[in-house]
Amino acid sequence: MIRRLIAQNEFTQTRRDRRFVVAGGVVLLLLLVATWTGFRNYQSLADKRAQANQTARAAWLGQPEKNPHSAAHYGTFAFRPKSDLSFLDFGLDTYTGVSVYLEGHRQNDAKFSAAEDATVLIRFGEMTVAFVLQLLIPLLIIFLCFSTFTREREENTLKLVLSQGVSVADLYWGKVRGMSQLVALVVGPALLLAGGLLFAQTGFSATADTLLRLGLFVLIYALYFFLFIAGSVFVSARSESSRSSLLTLLSIWIVACVVLPKATANLGESLFSVPSNYAFKRLIHEDEEKGIDGHNPSNARAKELEKKVLAQYGVDSVSQLPVNFDGIVMQEGEKYTSMVYQKHFRALQEQFQRQNSLATVVGFVNPYLAVRNLSMGLSGSDYAHFLDFKGKAEQYRFGLVERLNNQMKTFSKTGDWEKKVSREFWAKTPDFAYQLPSVGWALRQHALSGLALLLFGGVLLWGIGRSLSNSTLLPAA
Amino acid sequence: MGEKFKGGRCESHQLRQKLQRRAEVSTQLAWFTYKRPTTMLQAIDLTKRYTPERRTANAEPALDKLTLTVQPGEIFCLLGQNGAGKTTTINLFLGFLKPTAGQALVGGLNVAEYPQESKKFLAYLPETVMLYPNLSGLENLDFFAQLAGFRHSADQLHTLLTRAGLQSEAHMGRVSTYSKGMRQKVGIAIALAKQAKALLLDEPTSGLDPKAANEFSDILRTLSADGAAILMTTHDIFRAKEIGTRIGIMREGKLVETLAADELTANELEAIYLQTV
Repeated sequence: MIRRLIAQNEFTQTRRDRRFVVAGGVVLLLLLVATWTGFRNYQSLADKRAQANQTARAAWLGQPEKNPHSAAHYGTFAFRPKSDLSFLDFGLDTYTGVSVYLEGHRQNDAKFSAAEDATVLIRFGEMTVAFVLQLLIPLLIIFLCFSTFTREREENTLKLVLSQGVSVADLYWGKVRGMSQLVALVVGPALLLAGGLLFAQTGFSATADTLLRLGLFVLIYALYFFLFIAGSVFVSARSESSRSSLLTLLSIWIVACVVLPKATANLGESLFSVPSNYAFKRLIHEDEEKGIDGHNPSNARAKELEKKVLAQYGVDSVSQLPVNFDGIVMQEGEKYTSMVYQKHFRALQEQFQRQNSLATVVGFVNPYLAVRNLSMGLSGSDYAHFLDFKGKAEQYRFGLVERLNNQMKTFSKTGDWEKKVSREFWAKTPDFAYQLPSVGWALRQHALSGLALLLFGGVLLWGIGRSLSNSTLLPAA
Repeated sequence: MGEKFKGGRCESHQLRQKLQRRAEVSTQLAWFTYKRPTTMLQAIDLTKRYTPERRTANAEPALDKLTLTVQPGEIFCLLGQNGAGKTTTINLFLGFLKPTAGQALVGGLNVAEYPQESKKFLAYLPETVMLYPNLSGLENLDFFAQLAGFRHSADQLHTLLTRAGLQSEAHMGRVSTYSKGMRQKVGIAIALAKQAKALLLDEPTSGLDPKAANEFSDILRTLSADGAAILMTTHDIFRAKEIGTRIGIMREGKLVETLAADELTANELEAIYLQTV
């Protein structure tokens, strides 16, 4: 009751302040523009990639009659579809590759990131909804909250308020509530726009998974803003003057939102270094040639395979085999190179994951990092989602090549490179259809960040409660 | 009363009156035992020593064993130079400061123990009443009254502001356009709205023009006549003499003199004041 009254008072007063109208209006405008442009961008990318996938499939289906192994070399492309919520948080999408070339014998990296096509300006960050939510709204909160208590102290209204018998806790939480309403006033319209666009896009039949992701997205940011508001109002309650309150809060913002994330990224890079592209490829090549353990070179492996297959079919020479031995060799080779690639890619990815996990750990003291991770994860634009796409594309590639090799093995004899499969065969190979992992999967990837945010929030609120319980809010003299 | 009405014609009327009296007495008794204080404001050996780093090289307490009482209907004026401990006294009654020793009682409640409850009786009027500039006088009054737990209708709020002397054209104007005297009046309306039993006024008339100060004095007299206990600090000896019922003179944290206002003239009071401080 009292808290609602104080919240209402805070709300009315600030809304009548021209500074709030201007600052809030600018941020709201930015947010709306970011939502709209982000959505347009998403829409065109999603369309283009869906088209590209169709074109790739059409090219595959349109192949003339040819030897199956030629088709494996011809290959096809997998384009990564945009997730529904990626227009809210581009995450790493701009920097990760868009398409994977799927061919026999080798695993290719995802190539052609959006950043490659952009000017150097992209290094300064994009105007995305996530950028506004993660960095600018906290700044707005700081400007709203830094003087909530100090101004009342400086202008002496605080004494009058306290002389009416209001408890410190009621006053504090009332103010936090009022400020939360103001922030909701700024963020709300953009959120409605985002939701509306999303539903219009999906023809008003968004999947439960998308809805859940959006709901959690909103929840995470609501918690993030609430913590920022509670912290800012608390700093104001504890500061001697508005000046020092603003200075403290801006310092916190700079450290939490600029310095610490950069430092974490740099530290991660130097602690967990990754090999250069050249070195990485050489390592893979060496393992292919000399065997994964260095004692099992490729020609030795081939001899062994020949012996095994001959024994299996009970014949003396390759030409007597009822199947195409080349098909078997290539499939075994595929398995082996896959293993080599898998080993090296896994090592590389683990190294990247380690770099990322540093940010997750720092998220326990810096909610910005925790929210950044969760936001990317829910939007489906984080590293884990990228890896999931790559993994599924590789799975598809392996299945495709295996199918081609097996066809080769069964439909022709050894050494017959001229025999071709009919065009109907291409249509029998399944299409690559990427399915975004479920929200539960996404949350599991970022369980630690979620825990970090909750833990940080709990400790912060507990500390504030403790500190307020023995405070009069007034200077000692 | 039994004698007086014995044999009277309207026995039933008498009986009704008797019962009513008894009921009144019993509620009064209940109220008395519950919280009725003998005095509204009371300081018992009230001492405040600021921490050394705040008042450097001054081991003297800001307030030294102050003992005073203000009864309902009384206006107690505290005189003294700056730093004599007047404002410290007010802040201790408000619970804004923790006493080093002794007690400040409001309505019989120890302020240090019952910071929220004791404020139910209190209204505080600082030297300059500061309000929220973006709200109107009426909105400010409504907010502060509700903080104290009183919900008034718009009409009642207007009436309160008018009673406090604020001209009705100003009620809906933003406080940022108000003069000091107008804000003072909103402050009084706030005190009226919560039906305060005790008023703490910290140099309320300084900086007011003579007319505004005069109006203010009139309002204080009305409040006092309605049974409020008023403790007021001031530098204005003549106004203190004019409206005060008792006058205390403070020096270096001690209450050195307590005088009845009606027993001396303003000039005598000034002479005593100048001798004392």
